[in-house]
Amino acid sequence: MVEADNKILLDWDALEVGETFEKYEYVLTQEMIDTYRKGVMDPEAGFPTIAHKVDVKQYNAKYRDNGSVNARCAFYCYSPPIAGKKITVRAWISDKYLRRGKNYIVTEAVSVDEDGRLIDRVITHELKQPSEVGKKWGS
Amino acid sequence: MGELSRNYQIDDDITPIVKEMTQGAINLFEGSAGETGPSQFTDEATARDVLGTEGTVASGRMSLTFAIEMLRRYFGADVFNHSGMVDLRFLRPVRPGDTITFSGKISGISREANGSKISVAITAQNQKGDTTGVGQGSAIVPNAYLPPED
Repeated sequence: MVEADNKILLDWDALEVGETFEKYEYVLTQEMIDTYRKGVMDPEAGFPTIAHKVDVKQYNAKYRDNGSVNARCAFYCYSPPIAGKKITVRAWISDKYLRRGKNYIVTEAVSVDEDGRLIDRVITHELKQPSEVGKKWGS
Repeated sequence: MGELSRNYQIDDDITPIVKEMTQGAINLFEGSAGETGPSQFTDEATARDVLGTEGTVASGRMSLTFAIEMLRRYFGADVFNHSGMVDLRFLRPVRPGDTITFSGKISGISREANGSKISVAITAQNQKGDTTGVGQGSAIVPNAYLPPED
């Protein structure tokens, strides 16, 4: 894939905490909101931004790795997003750590809409050896 | 609207919510963000290649969403959607066909500049009784929503 060729192979040791990614922008549509609410079986779900995984979007655009598994995720609610508004996301590497011989990366992102409303903040801990899931819970 | 003058006590139980996971629900969740390609969440072969699992798994962010829903229902959207948070660790995969129960208990109450922070210990369990996730959440309940002090 051409896209994969342009990506940098992740070197976990060299990855710098504090690396900030290019901003990511998207328009949240009513269709996105409706689809999300059906998926989570909650007609009042207020933060469809969760499904957009914006904290790792720019990481995945820049780096190539063996995939990942979400080990921990924190989400802070500030204002439910409004359909039709452009959302701007700023994301960065906020931490990395080695635990039981496994590598983790922590990404953090803040979303703001076009009117300057703070939408949410998300912090995700990703295990960078996804095959560990199969070893432990494969069957 | 949230209930006015609600009293919060340590060890109070949060009303649980139960979610029946289906591949269709997972596909909608992933598709809502425009992700249409195969992934470990939507495609068994990809899940086998990436995770080494026999089938697909649900994104941990779906469990996060359900924990958020539980707390939003408890605190009220007008409170939780502007001051709430959930921090969840994912201990076991959640798969299509699983029934996951999210429950919580108030674990702390502390004063903040703009109200009281009510903290909740959260647990998610599947139909076998296995814990799939644990964590904590909180909301800042404005003073106007709390009983007057003596």
